[in-house]
Amino acid sequence: MKKTLRQMRPVYVAGIGLHRYQRMSDTPYVTLGLTAIREALADAKIEWRNVESAYTGTAFIGMAASRPMLRHLGATGIAMAQVENASASGSTAVRQACLDVASGLTDVSLAIGVDKPGPIAGAPGKTNIHDLVGRRVVPFTHFALLANEYMNRYGATAEEVAMVAVKNNRNGANNPYAQRQKAVTLEEVLAGPPISGSLTRLQCCPVGEGAAAVIVVSDDAIEKLGIDRSRAVRVTASVSRSERVYRGAKNFDAELTRETVAQAYDEAQISAQDLDVVELHDAFTIEELLYVEAMGLCSEGEGARMITSGAVDIGGKCAISASGGLLAMGHPIGPTGTGQVAEIARQLRGEAGVRQQPNARTGLAHMVGVGAVCVVHVLQKDS
Amino acid sequence: MSETASTATELFSSAAEPELNGRRCRACGYVFFPPQSYGCEYCGAPGDQLEPKPLRGAGALASFATVHLHQGKDMEAPFTVGLIVLEDGPAVRAILTQRTDEGLKIGDRMRAVIVETNSEGARARELRFCKEEAAR
Repeated sequence: MKKTLRQMRPVYVAGIGLHRYQRMSDTPYVTLGLTAIREALADAKIEWRNVESAYTGTAFIGMAASRPMLRHLGATGIAMAQVENASASGSTAVRQACLDVASGLTDVSLAIGVDKPGPIAGAPGKTNIHDLVGRRVVPFTHFALLANEYMNRYGATAEEVAMVAVKNNRNGANNPYAQRQKAVTLEEVLAGPPISGSLTRLQCCPVGEGAAAVIVVSDDAIEKLGIDRSRAVRVTASVSRSERVYRGAKNFDAELTRETVAQAYDEAQISAQDLDVVELHDAFTIEELLYVEAMGLCSEGEGARMITSGAVDIGGKCAISASGGLLAMGHPIGPTGTGQVAEIARQLRGEAGVRQQPNARTGLAHMVGVGAVCVVHVLQKDS
Repeated sequence: MSETASTATELFSSAAEPELNGRRCRACGYVFFPPQSYGCEYCGAPGDQLEPKPLRGAGALASFATVHLHQGKDMEAPFTVGLIVLEDGPAVRAILTQRTDEGLKIGDRMRAVIVETNSEGARARELRFCKEEAAR
């Protein structure tokens, strides 16, 4: 019989570590990745030799990224592989690590997102299917079109959409791992260079380099390795879906998120009302409005009001993008989804410092990727 | 996404009132654009079930955005992209004949026109859209 993650062996996040997301530099990806992994091992208080499988979430480094990096931790002979799923690569690496532990194949597994994005042509450009616009429509214009449609449909203003960047940069200013660590005013966001439609520069995420590591473990590992159970955060849902044909639907991004999150709620046996912290794919401001609605955190058309009401600020009903999100923390592609899970775990442990959402017990991490694909994890802390 | 954008002539007919070369699935009736012959995205029927379905170059503007930043050398920013829901069903994204969004509003009637382009010495014909009254 089929099982959900929650019906399998319990899986816990026991270690998290990051290398700051930053502008592209000469730093080798090996340094980025090892920094994050060593921090995660120290956080879990375990040794590299305890790790039994490793998944490297990356889209740009190239073939065979794992071992040339991981061998410098001591070549223990463990299973390792790269996971490429566009912007959801890091989320999918977390999922694979969780599945190893949940199934009983391993007791300790690692997801390491690491990337140095560069000009590599993706497969969607190699299908030999041509359209009327080609590369003249890149992601920021795709989302500028959705922003224009949203504002027209619900009477939302460009200022309300831009407020997402104000909130997320305020959060990012307190995140030492964020690429953008500077609070900005609404005026600054709106005054920035226009990119496409109503979207200005600060309404588009920075794409740089970085790394994020998450170590997941079983109950047996917690016992055997003496891991601190009070800091372990359980993963209660892992859902991965792809776009269907939504005939007559408004936009596929929202529909894909709606059905993926709905399945995650069902598997974790929670509802939107239970969420205390959410990290979502806010690569562009408009996305946060679309996804809070698709996640059922508010009704359709209420997203702009929810953002400006303070309900999704740290300290509000549900903190969204407490890390700064993709808009401020950054979107180095491979690490992004892994970094989201690290942030949720940090929040549920109560270790997020000035970014801490009070009494956070339940969190959700959401990424979408070109394709389109969507990957969602639910994390919960025992009371 | 192609290098050549809309210069691929198989995307549209060259009539005075150009039509888009859509496809229709014989098995399930799904109508789509751009054309492909790999298989039906809706029902999975193989490519030989996908028949030509001309789509009239007329529809309503569902969204638009003026692009201010463009790295390609094929076109200089600013230019404006529209999402047009065709009268024959599918929604398509196209370059609009007007460079900026001045005077545009969602719901405007749009019409396809063939535009001669000359990018880096290469002459090409593209299908773009313009507001209905401007097309006449």
